[in-house]
Amino acid sequence: MKALKKLFRRWEFFLVIFLVLEFVVFGSANPKFLRVNSIMTSIVNYISVCIISLFVTLVMITGGIDIQAASIIGLTSIIEGVLWSDAGLNIWVAVVIAIVAAAVCGALSGFFVAYCGVQPMVVTLGGSFLYSGLALLISGMSATPAYQGISGFPAKEGKTFVDFRFLGKGELLGIPMQIWIYLVLIVLCVWILHRTKYGERLYLIGVNQQAAEYSGINTRLVIMSTYVLSAVSAALAGTLLTSNMNSAKYNHGSGYTLAIITAVVLGGTLNTGGKGSILGTVLASLIICILRYGLPLCFGVSTQNLDLPVGIILVLVVLGREIAGQHMISSLFKKRGSAR
Amino acid sequence: MNKIKDLFKVRWMSSLVFLLLLFLITGIADHNFLTYSNIINCFNTATMYTLLAIGIAFVIMTGEIDVSIGATLGLTAAMTGLIAQSGGSIGKMLLICVAVGAAVGVFNGVGVAFFGVPSLIFTLGTNGLIRGLIYIVTDGRTVENFGGPIAYYGNKELFAQITLYYALTILLVAIAHVLLTRTRKGKYFIAVGDNPGGANLVGISVFRTKLIAYILCGVFAGIAGYVFASKYRQVMTVAGNGYEMTAIAACVLGGISLSGGLGNMVGAAIGAVIMSSISRLLVFIGLPSDYNNTITGIMLIVIVVVDSLTQRRSIEMSRRKRLLSRTAPGAAKGGDEA
Repeated sequence: MKALKKLFRRWEFFLVIFLVLEFVVFGSANPKFLRVNSIMTSIVNYISVCIISLFVTLVMITGGIDIQAASIIGLTSIIEGVLWSDAGLNIWVAVVIAIVAAAVCGALSGFFVAYCGVQPMVVTLGGSFLYSGLALLISGMSATPAYQGISGFPAKEGKTFVDFRFLGKGELLGIPMQIWIYLVLIVLCVWILHRTKYGERLYLIGVNQQAAEYSGINTRLVIMSTYVLSAVSAALAGTLLTSNMNSAKYNHGSGYTLAIITAVVLGGTLNTGGKGSILGTVLASLIICILRYGLPLCFGVSTQNLDLPVGIILVLVVLGREIAGQHMISSLFKKRGSAR
Repeated sequence: MNKIKDLFKVRWMSSLVFLLLLFLITGIADHNFLTYSNIINCFNTATMYTLLAIGIAFVIMTGEIDVSIGATLGLTAAMTGLIAQSGGSIGKMLLICVAVGAAVGVFNGVGVAFFGVPSLIFTLGTNGLIRGLIYIVTDGRTVENFGGPIAYYGNKELFAQITLYYALTILLVAIAHVLLTRTRKGKYFIAVGDNPGGANLVGISVFRTKLIAYILCGVFAGIAGYVFASKYRQVMTVAGNGYEMTAIAACVLGGISLSGGLGNMVGAAIGAVIMSSISRLLVFIGLPSDYNNTITGIMLIVIVVVDSLTQRRSIEMSRRKRLLSRTAPGAAKGGDEA
């Protein structure tokens, strides 16, 4: 009974209910909604946000915030494109170089946050300007005009995608590769956050950085590493996007910043740090993703106007959680008062 | 000498020096830049960002943030355009802009200050909400083809090539500055941002102060929306997208601390001029506008890192001074008194 009560109090529980409700409502409104293939496609369309939000969760648990990840998507995409088409490198070498470059970008911002003590929001705001600017400059090095995007990546044999494009378009056991990668990353993140010492340290730093420092944790290094991780995840998302769309462009993912933060926050992660879970983030990004897929299909909402429902839900959810929390606290006090 | 030293301690002074340095460097790169009209144009184009920046400065000073101002600007711009299309008067437009901005401010303020939702999250939700409203108001179409008096005032020059709107904006900056530094209630903003618990203890209502900050922020964003419509005479549904980040960057450049309790309006206004004139300066230096974001990013990061390092240094220096004065022989008594 007590375990059940504890379950009800968990934020993830509400998210699961919400997700199920979405399926029930949308499914009954339009049976076409329940086709597995289209649901998977909708997740694939939203995969960048899903992947990056996993690792931004780690950043936010330490009390930081990362609003530069979206600009790193475009940066890695264009680096891969230019290295492959204009420098003539093997595409996989280009991918590795792009991921390393993203890691350096993340490390740079992380360094300023952790070692110079600048507010993370400011640094990553500067980073988002800087990295999207760099992406534009790099796209200028290419023979292809910037607005067109570099295309023609390898390779398609008949109807099946192989080599680089297999990442974004291929299927394994009937499930798109991107979703497999997402699943692997989820497992990896859960393991990092909930099963390793590193994950414990993230929570500790989020709760009280000074206490963590005094208990012998190299807090600065840990904080910096979270920014590297989120940048690398953005690089991964950029690679997948490039492979899926068959085009490398400097402005890929430019509008994802707020979507990523929304997913993390809706998942129950506190932006002041110390609280949050990967499961919550995953559920929240799925909720938004399904909402964006279901509303136009079932209720004819214009695809341009999907910000409104997402915004309403975010506002209602955080308000509801805050009010419920305050109610719980006040009832706690009442109990104590009556006991006296 | 001391007076000059004091002058440099004023936070916005360093941003003004920075702006002048930027102008000077551009002037060295291309002598044609240093004409009156070029420089005044840099200020004129900053009108919208200045309005947004001083609005959000109120919120940032209380230690919160508002990322919904870009959307608010878009909404009020679209509404202004629609009213202009139907032949409404400018007074009506301004009234609607201010009312809508204030309504958004009340919504944000109640959510953040009353219910205690983290401000980034709540205003993020508001951002999505208002972006959606823009689609509903405009039917997803670009609002354009409106003329009349609003188009006439859009680029009207008042005197010496200063546009009417920029002159009015400067007036608003001055009023905001005086409010913030000279009046009792104005000082509450900084007090709440610096130490909300302490402010509460001395009888300042944290809720009311934050609510007013959000309302002011919304109103300024609303007026900026009017300026947007008047200036460009074409409002797309994505109008104002990303402006919030530029406004925040302007505040940071102007020496306003994002953790609250530090900074002033003049700094924010100067920061807005820096942010909006970068693209113009790059043209004169001879770089393509592609460099715009890169330079902005580098500048922002360098400034905040240098600022935070010098602050840390000055804290350590003062600490060491105190320590020295205590341990120095014969100074023990003085140390006790201190």
